[in-house]
Amino acid sequence: MAVKIEEKNNLTVCYIDGEIDINTSPDIKKAFEKLIAKKVPKIVINLAKVTYVDSSGLATLVEILKNMRTYGGRMRLTNMAHKIKSLFEITKLEKLFEIIEDEAEAITTFI
Amino acid sequence: MDTEKEVIISARNVVKKFGERAVLNGITLDIYRGETFVIMGGSGCGKSTFLRHLIGALKPDSGKVSVLGKDLSGLDEDALDAVKKKIGMCFQSAALFDSMTVGENVSLPLREHTKLDRSVIDIVVKMKLEMVGLRGFEDLMPSQLSGGMRKRVGLARAIVMDPEIIFYDEPTAGLDPIVAGVIDKLILDLSKKLSITSVVVTHDMKSVFSIADRVAMLYEGRVLEVGESDTVKNSKNPMVRQFIAGSPDGPIKFFQQKDDYLEQLIK
Repeated sequence: MAVKIEEKNNLTVCYIDGEIDINTSPDIKKAFEKLIAKKVPKIVINLAKVTYVDSSGLATLVEILKNMRTYGGRMRLTNMAHKIKSLFEITKLEKLFEIIEDEAEAITTFI
Repeated sequence: MDTEKEVIISARNVVKKFGERAVLNGITLDIYRGETFVIMGGSGCGKSTFLRHLIGALKPDSGKVSVLGKDLSGLDEDALDAVKKKIGMCFQSAALFDSMTVGENVSLPLREHTKLDRSVIDIVVKMKLEMVGLRGFEDLMPSQLSGGMRKRVGLARAIVMDPEIIFYDEPTAGLDPIVAGVIDKLILDLSKKLSITSVVVTHDMKSVFSIADRVAMLYEGRVLEVGESDTVKNSKNPMVRQFIAGSPDGPIKFFQQKDDYLEQLIK
């Protein structure tokens, strides 16, 4: 698993590569804690290269969102594989997150 | 049966003796990924003993049990633990720790086996309790719950590590018919939604045919019949028919002493 962070159009775009599971979730949380400490206002997380998300991975994304909301920050998830999107639906999390089909759209419409 | 289905559990000629008494007499079965497989049979037929072989709690005297592609007999403790992390177990008694809250019971496997932060674990627990209809019950003690609720907490704990297989031991035993129906529905929902393979040991006939994709009936430590739920339900085998009907009369004898009673008394 790897997290790559880029700045695009005054937005922070994060690319996660690999699995978000019990083993990798703590590292993902740490990577985002740095952004949260800086109170980054808008984060787009591109999940195109995420092959698997387990419950701890979902909970980690919820935790990141929760922490961002404490300072009014917003997060968007993009490029989710169908299998992963259905996981968000089963756990009713699709209504909690802003899930956008692709990164470009998420960036241009992120007001 | 669809030949493309992936075998996730396989038992080959599993024999187990307790002392002189053979409890499993050569069980051969395949269970496929994603199906709900019910093992039924009367008390003492060997179904619980067989289940304990599938979770690695017992080793066969001869024969082989493979789970998730691993032969359990050949695994050292660490390798067996790795397999066990991928399976969930729902016990007959719910097996909750009475001194812990519902939330602590559900989170126990995560606290023991992972390095997740407490805040993340708390969110996972909420998600799992939501799945079994008990969100908001985190701070209650098991003693404050009904039998059905305790079972649901046990179920939430069984799925907390996202298992690939869940084993249920008599999940509806001791529950009233409505609560038993709720548990059956939960087993089905979780199996389908989460694509979990479910292996259910039960003698609750109503439960068997409402949840099973396939059914195996064990008798005297052997597989008497195995097949699709409807096939077994309409079986012509008189033993299977007697068991399903719950009839005291038939080929299955409930008193099977081999020695003569009077001879045994004066022996």
